[in-house]
Amino acid sequence: MADEDKQSPLKEVPFFPFFPWMHTAADMWLNLLKAMPSNPDTSIMTQTAVQSRFTRQLDTSLNLLKSFSRMMSEPESASAAANSFNALPEILMKMAKSGFDAAMQIQNHLVEKAGNIGKRTEVYNFENLDQDVFKALSDVYEKEFRQYFKIPPLGLTRFYQERFNEMLDKHNIFETMLAEFFSILYLPIEKSFKVFQEKLQQMAEEGNLPQEAKECYAIWIKILEGHYISLFKSKEYTDTLHRTLNTLEDFIIVRNRMLEDFLQMLPVVTQKEMEELYKEFHVLKKRVKELEKQLNISPNTLTVVK
Amino acid sequence: MSSTKIPLDLILEKMAEDAEKAQQRVTKASEILQGQLNYEIASTPYEIVYEEDRIKIKHYFRNDNAENKLKAPLLVVYALINRETMLDLQPDRSVVKTFLEGGIDLYMVDWGYPTRKDHFLTIDDHVNGYMNNIIDFIRKKHNVPKINLMGICMGGSFSVMYSALHPDKIKNLITTVTPSSFDTDRGLLHIWMKDVDVDRMIQTFGNIPGDLMNLGFLLLNPARLMIDKYVSFMENMDNKDFVENFVRMERWIFDSPDIPGETFRQFIEDCYKRNLLIQSKMFLGGERVDLKKLTMPLLNFFGEYDHLVPPQACNQLSGAVGSKDVEDVCLETGHIGIYVSSKFQKLFAPKIVQWLKERDKV
Repeated sequence: MADEDKQSPLKEVPFFPFFPWMHTAADMWLNLLKAMPSNPDTSIMTQTAVQSRFTRQLDTSLNLLKSFSRMMSEPESASAAANSFNALPEILMKMAKSGFDAAMQIQNHLVEKAGNIGKRTEVYNFENLDQDVFKALSDVYEKEFRQYFKIPPLGLTRFYQERFNEMLDKHNIFETMLAEFFSILYLPIEKSFKVFQEKLQQMAEEGNLPQEAKECYAIWIKILEGHYISLFKSKEYTDTLHRTLNTLEDFIIVRNRMLEDFLQMLPVVTQKEMEELYKEFHVLKKRVKELEKQLNISPNTLTVVK
Repeated sequence: MSSTKIPLDLILEKMAEDAEKAQQRVTKASEILQGQLNYEIASTPYEIVYEEDRIKIKHYFRNDNAENKLKAPLLVVYALINRETMLDLQPDRSVVKTFLEGGIDLYMVDWGYPTRKDHFLTIDDHVNGYMNNIIDFIRKKHNVPKINLMGICMGGSFSVMYSALHPDKIKNLITTVTPSSFDTDRGLLHIWMKDVDVDRMIQTFGNIPGDLMNLGFLLLNPARLMIDKYVSFMENMDNKDFVENFVRMERWIFDSPDIPGETFRQFIEDCYKRNLLIQSKMFLGGERVDLKKLTMPLLNFFGEYDHLVPPQACNQLSGAVGSKDVEDVCLETGHIGIYVSSKFQKLFAPKIVQWLKERDKV
């Protein structure tokens, strides 16, 4: 019984019926190869030296396959393989869980914080804004996604890949920052409606409710303007504005670098090359003007139209 | 307990009326918008008399038979932001026309549209280069030692710098909504520019895009400039004159050339951040801009409600210059209202004509 088991170890690992199949297939191809005529005069082998190299290569590959299938047919190897394949669903589950966790983290932050935007600040006051939701987004991006863009690329095209990844990274950062900037810009609208409603309520209680929509609009736009003026003078707004501008600039700089890579493949000049030319041109013009001055030649004599 | 008095019937009646009016307005507006509209700007005739790189000089046709002609010609230097067409926006509100009717021989700088090749041009290139060449050209053409100079906004700052460096070529100086003292927190631009990373901006954009500047200006007052303005348009779009003038203003305001990078860098660093001009510590072409050397008569206009260049940024100049003949004029309007509002058409340009006439014979 034990011998039987040794002779057919795959009975214990029925999940891998392809190991004996691999073994048989390798044997078949090797036999076929051996059956090929070895006479250099035959039609196949005489064609080119390349074909002969191909046959040798095929021979080596099939021998490797045969060894591999033989090794995999050993009970220890098959058992190890079976274990690893058994663990596959677990690995996949872990990967999926990690992804779900990240998604849930984002969602939780959004649900918790989105409702709070603007709630913690008073009307006409834009200090200590609750922008945690955007910090949460940035954190999630930093922890869960950004590392993929930071993996060092390898090989001949590594610099091109690096610049492309950097562009995607900076674009994502800019998008997050832009969302924060727009949310701040929206705050005065939200707050102005709140003040406007209170004002209308007060007017209604006093019996002075505006009879025309235009009057209501005039009241609201004045409240809105006041809120914007307060916002624009706040340090929070100025900081966000500058950070947005900085992330936009970061993105444009790396995007231009990446575009230069593409342009270099085309028969056109790049921006960098033109900048260098413009600078040289500018310096030369200055020198010519200086020389004109020294020689008492008025530039007007060259440029007057009428 | 007091009962709430809400005239609901009146409100509903008004709403019905408004809806009917809106319907009529839209019908008429549709005819106007699809019909012939004249929204041409800068229609006063002129000729180009000088060109250098992207810069052109416009010379307007004056009635040479007029009795009230001024001897010294006037050169108007506009800002590098937006275009000089604002001074001739519509036929009935044209500073250019008032100047011509007042007997002024008028030249105006058209700075053109900077391209990437202008990226490296500095303030020195504009002031000691282009402006100096233009002024020499006009002096030679009219055979006069000095001409009158008028600057607008940033062009006013350039004119102040020029007049301090070349006082022998300027007879009278007029500055309008001209920032000279930048250390104030009254204007949002002054607040925002203090922390801007200008080097990074230049590295990114080369020249500063006009659209980016315009977006910044819109964000100075979005309630008025992005909402109320267009609500007002909707309310008046059945009025042909209003529509034409509105479109003229839109054409002007969004016609924004880029600003040469190096000029922008120096303006932000030396003026907005370090406030060197008013302290006579700014250097152009290796020479110090000493405001005490600005000895010609000075007329300084600014707007009380100017949110771009607040009065505090303008009114220090008259005390800092070497001239004894100085006059500050604060008008109750904003940055653009000085030039285009119907009210100030009667105050602004006629005052300049009169002021120049008084000094023309000296």
